[in-house]
Amino acid sequence: MADLDNKDQTEMDPADMEDVEEVEEEETGEDNSKARQLTMQMMQNPQILAALQERLDGLVGSPSGYMESLPKVVKRRVNALKNLQVKCAHIEAKFYEEVHELERKYAALYQPLFDKRSDIVRAAYEPTDEECEWKQDEEEELTVSKQEEMKEKAKVEEEKKDEEKEDPKGIPEFWLTVFKNVDLLSEMLQEHDEPILKHLQDIKVKFSDAGQPMSFTLEFHFEPNDFFTQTVLTKTYKMRSEPDESDPFSFDGPEIMGCTGCTIDWSKGKNVTLKTIKKKQKHKGRGTVRTVTKTVPNDSFFNFFSPPEVPETGELDEDSEAVLAADFEIGHFIRERIVPRAVLYFTGEAIEDDDDDYDEEGEEADDEEGEEEADEENDPDYEPKV
Amino acid sequence: MDKKNEKSEAKGKGGNKPPQSDKPSQSDKPEGFLQVERIPNFNLLPKSIKRRVYALKRLQLQSANIEAKFYEEVHELERKYAGLYQPMFDKRREIVTGAVEPTDEECEWQSDKEEDELAADLQKKAALEEKQADSASAVDPKGIPDFWLTIFKHVDMLGEMLQEHDEPILKHLQDITVKFSEPGQPMSFTLEFHFEPNSFFSNSVLTKVYKMKSEPDAEDPFSFEGPEIVDCEGCKIDWQKGKDVTVKIVKKKQKHKGRGTIRTVSKEIPQDSFFNFFSPVKSSPDGMDEDLDFTLAADFETGHFFRERVIPRAVLYFTGEALEDDDSFEEEDLEEGEEEDLDEEGEEEDEGDIDPTKDPPPAECKQQ
Repeated sequence: MADLDNKDQTEMDPADMEDVEEVEEEETGEDNSKARQLTMQMMQNPQILAALQERLDGLVGSPSGYMESLPKVVKRRVNALKNLQVKCAHIEAKFYEEVHELERKYAALYQPLFDKRSDIVRAAYEPTDEECEWKQDEEEELTVSKQEEMKEKAKVEEEKKDEEKEDPKGIPEFWLTVFKNVDLLSEMLQEHDEPILKHLQDIKVKFSDAGQPMSFTLEFHFEPNDFFTQTVLTKTYKMRSEPDESDPFSFDGPEIMGCTGCTIDWSKGKNVTLKTIKKKQKHKGRGTVRTVTKTVPNDSFFNFFSPPEVPETGELDEDSEAVLAADFEIGHFIRERIVPRAVLYFTGEAIEDDDDDYDEEGEEADDEEGEEEADEENDPDYEPKV
Repeated sequence: MDKKNEKSEAKGKGGNKPPQSDKPSQSDKPEGFLQVERIPNFNLLPKSIKRRVYALKRLQLQSANIEAKFYEEVHELERKYAGLYQPMFDKRREIVTGAVEPTDEECEWQSDKEEDELAADLQKKAALEEKQADSASAVDPKGIPDFWLTIFKHVDMLGEMLQEHDEPILKHLQDITVKFSEPGQPMSFTLEFHFEPNSFFSNSVLTKVYKMKSEPDAEDPFSFEGPEIVDCEGCKIDWQKGKDVTVKIVKKKQKHKGRGTIRTVSKEIPQDSFFNFFSPVKSSPDGMDEDLDFTLAADFETGHFFRERVIPRAVLYFTGEALEDDDSFEEEDLEEGEEEDLDEEGEEEDEGDIDPTKDPPPAECKQQ
């Protein structure tokens, strides 16, 4: 018994001791002498100590010592469960492979719609009246009465004749407008990028083929322009789609882990990712002054195509890591939201949706409101029923 | 330049991170959600262009309908994989309840050996406790006692629902399983809580069904983000006499106004309990008051969480390993040490190519 007492004291940190007392008070509460007796017993019974530890860990929130306090036979079984969990993680990896295949299959089903979109945007195709039928906003309906609409139609037809020369084709600056409407993208956008992005006609997503390492490629299709010679700029995102052997439980589905851009063949003097600066230098000895021209990197959306490379070994510096993390976010966002729903970003509707999402998360984070039931026990308004 | 400034003032966060469309909650979109064109000059665009934009919106509608089919297929995939996970979960149940004792090989765990070396003292003490326990009470714990109850306590979202009087009951909880709706049926999933025989109620299984909407709303097709929980149904618990923890008896003294006599009246009033989970508020198509709306939304979130996280990864919640991962989802106050980590975790989430999102699998249950 004495030995056990000593062991108890070395086991329990002084902090734990304090916590133990508090817990006990909560549990018993009524009879103090009883509580004291109980305490003595508790402190001597290792099973109860383990249970208390359990409770403490529950209170703390991150039960790091929890496993250690379990009896060996139980720990053993928990380890068996962990091995089962690893198996689950591997099955999950296969699940995600199949989802990726499903995505690939559906990408092919969406593609005709996206192709049609591209045709309309760049004026390769003029949609018929039927194809343009759309129930207008309630707002528009309210402000434009039927009479006015008819007047407008007549006016428009006249204008069409008058303005044939200036008739805008397709939807000018469609993708540039999308960029400007979305904070995540507009933050990358510089003034000198805009004239170039006017030539952006389409953004496509291509998936890796079955059997290849999982990846997706964003293709930016440009019409011929005097900034660079390519018609397509690409960005490929590589994904890790299997649990990491050393940390199988962190696997939560495919994750972007690297990306590669492409080399842009800039026409002379048009490279917006570089700028030249002039420096005056004074020769120390002679005192003569000369002007030196230097080329330095320039902020531009087009740096998107020259992301930091993830080295095979070692890690990136903090800045590059941050740049990469933001880059992955953008790549994911373009793939998941922008390309599938471009028109909604053009009009701005989707941006409200995204805002709603964020507002909701904020609300959910709030602790739940207190009990909603009225505490009738303390309600003194007893009314005689008879 | 001016346009840019205009825009950044007008918007809040905008698209700063990929939408976490896995989070369940009731759709908060107001009825008749106005599709207001937000870019400053949309209404000023020439009619010919506006016309083409409408054509694009029609195409978008077609996209939304194809997307609905995509989610149906994902659901089928989930159903298929549920079948593949099940043997693992069955084995888990057998080990937890003590029906089966795993072999030594099945219990080998690499990192634990390292942990043991570091925590040699604790291990010795655990062994000593074990001996003492054996000699003191000769009770060899069967299976993993209080497995699910412990999980409840470790997870804030569940711990908040847990009352003291629920604990003795939850000790009898042996397993929680998910069942998916069959193909062709309206999309739904059912949580089954399996209890061993106990003195509290006679049911051996308590169920909660979550019904989902898996198609775009005709009136607001663009708000469709995948299947969403829209309703749920509990079950009747056959409580033993005097054991119903969802009600409490209060005694009231009443004085008869005329006669002056006093009598004591017993009244049953509702009481907080986890078991109210099985008697949820019904969602009304006419809309409900804000409080009820909020309660239901929280319920949906819980149902989703059970299905996507707790059931598939139960042991990691038991040990606590999964809690750090989830902290990045819970926006409650973090403990001091964890704030630094949050940025990294947040970034990892965002890196995640989720198809659609990180916290669980693709879009099965996308709640905004």
